[in-house]
Amino acid sequence: MAVPDLEVAKPGWEAGALYDTFKTNAGIVSARVDRAADNTEAALKIKEIILQTGAKKVVAAPSPLVDSLLPDDLWAAGTGPALHRKDLRRHAPDAGVGISAFDLAIVETGTLVQDATNLDCRLVSTLPPVHVALVPTDRIVPTLQDALELYGRDPDGLPPYLAFISGPSRTADIERVLTIGVHGPSELYIIFIDRPGGETV
Amino acid sequence: MSDTSIKGDIRAALSNENLRGALGRFADDYLESRQAAYRNKDFNDLRDKIAEIKSRAAGRMEELAERFAAEAARRGAKVFRAETAGQARDYILNLARERGVKTIVKSKSMASEEIHLNRYLAEAGMEVVETDLGEWIIQLCGQRPSHMVLPAIHMTRGQVAGIFSRETGEELPPEISRLVKVARENLRQKFLKAELGISGANIAVAETGTLVMVTNEGNGRLTTTLPPLHVAVVGLEKLVERFIDAVPILEALPRSATSQQLTSYVTMLTGPAPAVDASGSPVQKEMHIVLLNNGRTEMQSDPVFKEALQCIRCASCLNVCPVFQLVGGHVFGYVYTGSIGSVLTAFFNGLENAAEIQSLCLGCQRCKDFCPAKINLPRLINDLRTRIAQQSGLSLPQRLFLKKVLTNRSLFHGLLRAAAVGQKPFVKEGTVRHLPFFLAGQASVRNLPALAEEPLRNWFNRYAAREAEEKAGKGAAREADKRDSKQENNQETRKESKPQSKVESTTENKAGDAAEGAAYRAKTEKEAGRKTGSKARPRAGLFAGCLTDFIYPEIGISMVKVLESTGFEVVFPRGQTCCGYPARQLGAPEVMAEVARQNLAVFEDAGADYILTPCPTCTHALKNIYPELSAGDPALQARAAAMAGKVCDFAELVYRQIKDGTAPGLRLKALNKKVTYHDSCHLKRSLGITLEPRELLKTAGAKLVEMPYADRCCGFGGSYFLKYPELSAQILDQKLDCIRKTGAGLVAVECPGCLMQLRKGLKERGEKAVEARFLAEILADQL
Repeated sequence: MAVPDLEVAKPGWEAGALYDTFKTNAGIVSARVDRAADNTEAALKIKEIILQTGAKKVVAAPSPLVDSLLPDDLWAAGTGPALHRKDLRRHAPDAGVGISAFDLAIVETGTLVQDATNLDCRLVSTLPPVHVALVPTDRIVPTLQDALELYGRDPDGLPPYLAFISGPSRTADIERVLTIGVHGPSELYIIFIDRPGGETV
Repeated sequence: MSDTSIKGDIRAALSNENLRGALGRFADDYLESRQAAYRNKDFNDLRDKIAEIKSRAAGRMEELAERFAAEAARRGAKVFRAETAGQARDYILNLARERGVKTIVKSKSMASEEIHLNRYLAEAGMEVVETDLGEWIIQLCGQRPSHMVLPAIHMTRGQVAGIFSRETGEELPPEISRLVKVARENLRQKFLKAELGISGANIAVAETGTLVMVTNEGNGRLTTTLPPLHVAVVGLEKLVERFIDAVPILEALPRSATSQQLTSYVTMLTGPAPAVDASGSPVQKEMHIVLLNNGRTEMQSDPVFKEALQCIRCASCLNVCPVFQLVGGHVFGYVYTGSIGSVLTAFFNGLENAAEIQSLCLGCQRCKDFCPAKINLPRLINDLRTRIAQQSGLSLPQRLFLKKVLTNRSLFHGLLRAAAVGQKPFVKEGTVRHLPFFLAGQASVRNLPALAEEPLRNWFNRYAAREAEEKAGKGAAREADKRDSKQENNQETRKESKPQSKVESTTENKAGDAAEGAAYRAKTEKEAGRKTGSKARPRAGLFAGCLTDFIYPEIGISMVKVLESTGFEVVFPRGQTCCGYPARQLGAPEVMAEVARQNLAVFEDAGADYILTPCPTCTHALKNIYPELSAGDPALQARAAAMAGKVCDFAELVYRQIKDGTAPGLRLKALNKKVTYHDSCHLKRSLGITLEPRELLKTAGAKLVEMPYADRCCGFGGSYFLKYPELSAQILDQKLDCIRKTGAGLVAVECPGCLMQLRKGLKERGEKAVEARFLAEILADQL
């Protein structure tokens, strides 16, 4: 689903500073945060992550950002893992990496926000053990309050499934020992893109 | 639960090392991690907002429920209003049957546990799988959750390995990461095949028909994503009016519950989102929301208990509860656990199920400080206690004592004096059984102090007489006062010789009531006279409280000495009696109201500028509860409020006098000793006194060393230490360990109950290097 038409910027919000603090805070909740100047750099970083995980199968939730970043020929035929964008209910359960685009990032808590009404967004971010999240750098807001105010402006336009994600899935249910990765992904990579929509790979 | 069975459960819990170890470590870690989570938030500001939002919503529960239902329906959800647990269960079962459901995945939902949904669906032949890791563990071994947020906190990795090994048929090692992986793999298969997902919700937004779920593991997202049919069971108390109202709740809930800034996942559902079936074909997603009443409107229409609807289920009241830390939710709870659990149980699962649970509350009030919804839980539990007592009735000896003896001061004190004489041959054993604290009817507890040979009131008489002789001729009015009190003293001595003959003398009380007004007028005139005359020193009226008056008169004597040397005139109004608090604790507030009237009249007569009591519970009673008790009688309430305005803590007053320079400073010999200070529950949490006693100790030259958790209860809790001696002893043990860590040879307290408890513990341990003393005694010794 497309990024909703929310006017994010407010006077005094400076993307660079917001990014730095976001990176720290998301790091505290075990997310790995990186930043790419444009789509080309972002695509390289995604490929690197995929190769690192050794995944045989990758699933991506279609969106303008994801589509512009990941062409079907991301890898020459037979040289990389299979990339699926369709029939994800079948492919996501055994995929090694899931990729989706996010609408907002919240500095205060290191949180990503996504209109996840499109089922694919949820399948790729819940089922594979690794999730790669893409966010335009200019869509960072300082606080949870700011994020909810943006969505709350138009109560009728609230998406049916609005997802807030802070780090990978976690539990402390056995002896209160923090363990990363229960039902959802055990690794969350976040890539901010300064100039999304530029050249593709 | 019968009395004997709860005691058996307590013993079992106390001997469960895993449980105690886990809960104890958690209790310590929680304080620190929670504080860190709130480092960038103003907790008090947040709790004010939540209390406002939730109480407003609770006040308009029906309206918001209708609005929520309409909004959710407009967005395609089906909303069912379930009045009872049975209606909710039937609706869900019928729906599941109609859709041919075989497997159900559930994410954690207290509301579904409240209505015992799993058992019901399982009996109908469906496979119901809890997917929250802790809940799954509990489900597999057929137990109940022991904590609202951490259901399996009482289990070790070894036990979990055993349970999972049985489930998977594979021998699993006790490695947590491995066990978590096993849960992921096994439950993933259930998610992929389930036809129905059942969840709860943390917030329901009326404005938009939105459900908000706060989770960490990702099972909530899977439950609401994979099965094409979703049922959310939502209690009416989850409603808030506006979408933006979710903000403070989302800010506080993770911080208070799990010490996180935010949980890994927050999911906001506004109507059904698209779904596919297991084969991947698009299907119409069905979303059913069961709005559950089950006692909530009854709670809402209750002027006292509606406050409990503000709860956001963070379980901080469990995490800071000294009793919960020892026994966990299996003993201290039903479906909902801990202090909030006892209140919720009373309304959702019936008063009879709440009776035993609420009796476990120590009354230390610690939970009140931590509640992010600003619920005054101690007050609610107190009221619950009263209601249970009124419903089930007091035992005959309790009723006799409270209604016939406690309201008749001279009879009560006469019995105490008789007991002091009667105990003589047994003093070595050291037992007290006759103060109102000890009415629980239990056998004696060892290592308690004996009743004093001379109560404070008698000492004060001699003291006042001596003082009067010294100042003979100075002030005729004062002399008259002394004669008054002497006469009364003689009268009392006479009564004491034949206490039995007064048991039925209720007519005397009525006469006393009638005389009250006249006495008040006479006193007002007298006081007016005193005020116009020369007033050299401020007058402090001593309200001793039973423990000081009859067991620890030396505390009162020390207070008198310190107060005199700080420039006060001290009076001891003889007609004073028990503050009545124990009666209220036993469920007889009307008895407390009666003795309140008596004490009020007596202190009005005394013309004191300040009223001091060595007992923080008495101070709390005089200052905070008396005005409440007289609500409905404006004249009486005005008098109670006037008295309350004069009531203050000893350390508070002395410290203020010294600091303001309004009285000569205390000239003290330097103590030069390591001293640690124990915060009494009522002093800190009902009266807010923490700084003053510490400053006074420093003034006395003490080297103050803080003990860990100085404000954690010592386990005395009024009659609690008689009702649940094992629990009380364990809590005391923890306190003594903390004291010991300081290396101090002296522990200072400002509560006679704490003093009794600490001395008992030190004696039992044979601890000779540490002494427990009252703050006033320590100061008096340095004069």
